[in-house]
Amino acid sequence: MTHIQTRNASVSAWPRLWLGQPLGQGNVLAFVLVVVLALLVLPPLLVLLRISFTEFHAGFREGGFTFQHYVGLIQSNTLFRSTVNSVLFAALSTVISLIFGGILAWLVERTDVRFKPLAFLTSVVSMGTPYILYVTGWLFLLGKAGPLNRTWFELTGSPANLFEVNSLAGMVLVEGFLWSPLVFLLLSATFRAANAEMEEAARMSGASVADTILRVSFQLARPAIVALALFVFIRNLEAFEVPALVGIPGNVSVLTTEIYRGMKHMPPDIGFVSAYAMVMVAVIAILLHYYGKLSDRAERFASITGKGFRPRPFRLGRLRWLGGGIILFNFFIVLVLPLGAIFWMSVLPFVQPIRPSAFRAITWENYQRVLTDSYYWGLAGNTLIVAGTVATLVVALTFLTGWVVARRKRGARIIDQLVTVPLVFPGLVLGIAMLQLALRAPVPIYGTLWIIILGFIIRYVPYGMRYSFSGVLQIHTELEQAAAVSGANTREMLFKVVAPLLVPALASGWIFVFLIATKEMSMPLLLAGAQSQTIPVAMFELWTSGQSGEVAALGLIWAAAMTVLSASFYALTRQASAATFGK
Amino acid sequence: MISKIKTLLAATAITGMIAVTCNGTAQAASQELIDAAKKEGKVVWYTALVVNQVVRPLAEAFQAKYGIKVEFVSALWQEQALRMINEGKTGKVQGDIFDGPPAFEQVYAAGFVEPYLIPSAADYPAAYKDPKGLWTAHSLQPTGIAVNTDLVQEKDYPKTYEDLLDPKWKGRMAWTTSTSAGGPPGFIGMILDHMGEEKGMEYLRKLAKQDIINVPSNQRVVLDKAVAGEVPLVLSVYNYHIPISQAKGAPIKWIKIEPLSGHLGTFSLIKNAPHPNAARLLLDFIMSEEGETIQARAGYIPAHPAVPAENPSLKPEGNYTFSGIAPDRMMVEGPRWVKIYRELFE
Repeated sequence: MTHIQTRNASVSAWPRLWLGQPLGQGNVLAFVLVVVLALLVLPPLLVLLRISFTEFHAGFREGGFTFQHYVGLIQSNTLFRSTVNSVLFAALSTVISLIFGGILAWLVERTDVRFKPLAFLTSVVSMGTPYILYVTGWLFLLGKAGPLNRTWFELTGSPANLFEVNSLAGMVLVEGFLWSPLVFLLLSATFRAANAEMEEAARMSGASVADTILRVSFQLARPAIVALALFVFIRNLEAFEVPALVGIPGNVSVLTTEIYRGMKHMPPDIGFVSAYAMVMVAVIAILLHYYGKLSDRAERFASITGKGFRPRPFRLGRLRWLGGGIILFNFFIVLVLPLGAIFWMSVLPFVQPIRPSAFRAITWENYQRVLTDSYYWGLAGNTLIVAGTVATLVVALTFLTGWVVARRKRGARIIDQLVTVPLVFPGLVLGIAMLQLALRAPVPIYGTLWIIILGFIIRYVPYGMRYSFSGVLQIHTELEQAAAVSGANTREMLFKVVAPLLVPALASGWIFVFLIATKEMSMPLLLAGAQSQTIPVAMFELWTSGQSGEVAALGLIWAAAMTVLSASFYALTRQASAATFGK
Repeated sequence: MISKIKTLLAATAITGMIAVTCNGTAQAASQELIDAAKKEGKVVWYTALVVNQVVRPLAEAFQAKYGIKVEFVSALWQEQALRMINEGKTGKVQGDIFDGPPAFEQVYAAGFVEPYLIPSAADYPAAYKDPKGLWTAHSLQPTGIAVNTDLVQEKDYPKTYEDLLDPKWKGRMAWTTSTSAGGPPGFIGMILDHMGEEKGMEYLRKLAKQDIINVPSNQRVVLDKAVAGEVPLVLSVYNYHIPISQAKGAPIKWIKIEPLSGHLGTFSLIKNAPHPNAARLLLDFIMSEEGETIQARAGYIPAHPAVPAENPSLKPEGNYTFSGIAPDRMMVEGPRWVKIYRELFE
């Protein structure tokens, strides 16, 4: 899904096919796209860069050029510690989600394991559920009052926790679980697309199940897995929800929470924060460079054939119960338990351990509040407007960029590079940059939904690009050539030939961008004003000011609505993949 | 002649208006203000208070009374202060009023507070308001200690601040990360006042070794941690939040160790507020007997002299020593206490 593949045109294996003659309109289009993209993605980077080198006087007056923020950064004792924590946190949680999600994906796609629908149900629901809801659910489960530590306390009477959730280990566990559904979805696509003949051959030559898995299945998928691992690693470096809610109470600081803390220091040290952010951006840019190389290699390893057949699933035999157990474990750990904990919080007047005496206190008051208060309806309205506008504009823009890059028109290379720029921003950092831009903008955009929409468009252009780019690749150029020969100009060809064929890919892209835009909290956190609060931001704010019951009810209602959407997304992508690889 | 009459009439109108404003001692808001406020149609309130306890009831009552929409933005005070400073700095002011002394201290220092002597607070004790009208207290916010009664037996309740140094509390106490007089810095200031500089610092160094859990939320969330049984003992929670939870059946108890630290809950007007009249009207409503009664009913400790607290034992008068810290003192000494907090406890 978020597996970004905006590859350089030069390494593409696709045949070098140019339209019969250069089209004037095509050049204009490329030029316009380059200008639009540059205006979108470069200002946030430049504003942060400038602030990080600007001296600030009392009362926030800006002074001249200075290195002091970077010097302060090196001298502060937090940079080293939080970098180490960030890397450890990102690496370990990547390992957890990869192992967990990977095993699940293989079981579901390649074996005769039971309960397959539960694995998909888990992923579909998790795609529609705000991260903050999951995080708080797990915090409750793994916390002192949760069933684990509570049972331990009742068994031993020891005041010490069996498991301390507000620690690096707790952060790793929660973040690992948080990402495993996405890893599952992405890897199941990889396993589905891979040629099963090699596995069959291994089995027929007498290899055991374990040998086949280790030496064939995972070897074939390895490049894709490595690329995905790096991608998840980058996303974990950028993560904010888990470090903020799980890490800060245990005094475990990572890069993003240090940036957040810097913004909240009074007075806020925006120069220092920007310098911090630039360091992060630089690190991620380097990682992304390697990611680009890795995912190109992954493409070359792909063993997709034109043969539309579904491989015979592995018979797990006596291991079938173990496979089923893993699926059930995933279903409970990633779906039932955290959402159950949230449900528990939503029906009680105050948070308390799960115990018989608490059942008497059950009340639906929080649901009544959420459903009747115009404040919450306003939040929902804002969120839908933001997500709908963002998804539509991103899809419209990336439809054009995707075509230009996939067809390697003039300007393709620079467009491809501009599109990947936003990936260097952690959400929180992009939010800070957008805030600074809005405050300096000559147009009254500050505190409106527009600044959030703009920020999200910048953030999700690479995601939209992934859908349109691979969508265009699947359309044979013959059709476009035929249109050109028949006298169609670029515009007619794009909208009458390419666009209709791209509808499934664009629709998937639209729903995907829509869903992540409704879930993300860190980018709009500092941008939301009186009239521009969104659901995830309000949930975070209400949570940190003591409204857990209402937030839990709001979150569950919202997650249910979004799950319907995410189910349609899943149906669409399955359909598209069935069309390509057979059912 | 006619022009003379006109001038005279105009003059009377002006003096009349002034008289109304000055004469507003605990009276209903003037009709001019109400009309002007209605014309503005809405008011934006940046709040760090708990929404379902007081913000929503006050907003609903105000809306019902005047038909003026109250848009509130709920966030921790740090984010609110940042928002107001950013807005003031760039002239893109969106908020009208805000609450909380820590936000006040920052926003005032940046020069974005508009003084306003709230008419309905005219009878408040002098200690509860700034003489220039920069801030006015709506409630008292004493902070104290609470224990979870399921997890802590009565014989283990701390009786003095020294008792908190007992090894049995190590890693089992929590407080907020809020660097305000209602959080650790206020506690530190109170300890230094109470024990003296040298002994106080010695105490704080020992307390820091107890590994107090820093909760990145407000005092209400910290108390909920004790209510939920996640920590047995919490420090620097607002004492009036404890009976609010008790009333719902929560196993929580206030441990009254004196003196109590804390501060006043305050409101201020934002400079260049886009809805200045609606803002003044809302402030007047919040401080009025009607507004204060709503807060008292929510369990808060009202600053209004004529409005009693729902639970009289929560009020300092005749019950306990409250060494609350007013914004002006916090602005002078706060930074040092914050520094001590960061060095010892973060």
